[in-house]
Amino acid sequence: MKRKFRIFRYQPDKDKKPYYKEYEIEIEDGWTVLDALNHIHWYVDGTLAYRRACRSEICGSCAMRINGKNRLACKTQIKTLGSGTIKIEPLPGLPIIKDMVVDMDPFFRNLEKVKPYFIKYSPLPEEEQLQTPEERDLINEAAMCILCGACTTSCPSFWANPDYLGPAALLKAYRFIFDSRDEGGKERLEIINDRNGLWRCHAIFNCTEACPKNINITHYIKKLQNLAVNNQF
Amino acid sequence: MIASKSLIKRNRGALAWFFQRITAIYLFVFLIGHFVMMHFAGSGEVTYETVAPRLSSPLWKAGDLLFLIFALYHGINGLWQVLEDYVRNRGLRLFLFAVLLTLAVILFTVGVVTIFSVKS
Repeated sequence: MKRKFRIFRYQPDKDKKPYYKEYEIEIEDGWTVLDALNHIHWYVDGTLAYRRACRSEICGSCAMRINGKNRLACKTQIKTLGSGTIKIEPLPGLPIIKDMVVDMDPFFRNLEKVKPYFIKYSPLPEEEQLQTPEERDLINEAAMCILCGACTTSCPSFWANPDYLGPAALLKAYRFIFDSRDEGGKERLEIINDRNGLWRCHAIFNCTEACPKNINITHYIKKLQNLAVNNQF
Repeated sequence: MIASKSLIKRNRGALAWFFQRITAIYLFVFLIGHFVMMHFAGSGEVTYETVAPRLSSPLWKAGDLLFLIFALYHGINGLWQVLEDYVRNRGLRLFLFAVLLTLAVILFTVGVVTIFSVKS
């Protein structure tokens, strides 16, 4: 079966303006968008640039905008995309390095701000720290994040203001603040309780719709907002 | 985990977010009350004879005053949030914030005069 792909092309040091290039290729049943990109890259046009690694939804490298929605190319079956031309673009809101390869530095800088690692002030335990199933349930979903950036780059608040921490960083903050083993909750809440932190979220839900791991990110941001308000009194 | 609660901290948006919701609840209840009053409970006529007695009662005045304050807070704060999202220039921000505050003061004054000028 032949399918048409309309792919965003831009090389800032060579092209004056971004443009779209169309490729028509023969696809096989069961191909994902990543399979098609690989086919184009390997057999049709070797200049096409995009990130990929695990091709099994766990590394988070191949997040891109497919038919106007942020998704993982390796998770998106071509047959779920209807019969029309498939439009592929880089994640919005980040500087473009080449084609689908965007500069993720602003994204990871925001992540670093919330201290995305365990903080322990009491003496380190001799053995592993156990959690009850209830304690684990609190953070189970949030800990599934693969840091692909689909959520943050789908957020209109982030588009308007790159200083906004964004849903991925806030979700990471939630994951540690609500972890029974972590002791850095207070300092993290100090950091995210900021006009460019928690309060820039206006519950647009784009992040939740974009998340390839189906994490209800908005819900966790709201839980953080509740915690911050309760902490005011 | 955060267990203990601390005293009131520097306002960084948490209280603005909280009061936006509190005022929203009041506005919603007030709106329902307004609909009931205007379309179901009373005669439906808007004349001086029907409105003046209501407006002259202290309870009504208090409710209206609260509505005035809450509606202004809700609207001005909402606009301010939008400006914070999209206006990056500090000077322009400051100017627009001043415009908003002036607008709020004028509207509040007009509202207060309206509410308290009705005598029983």
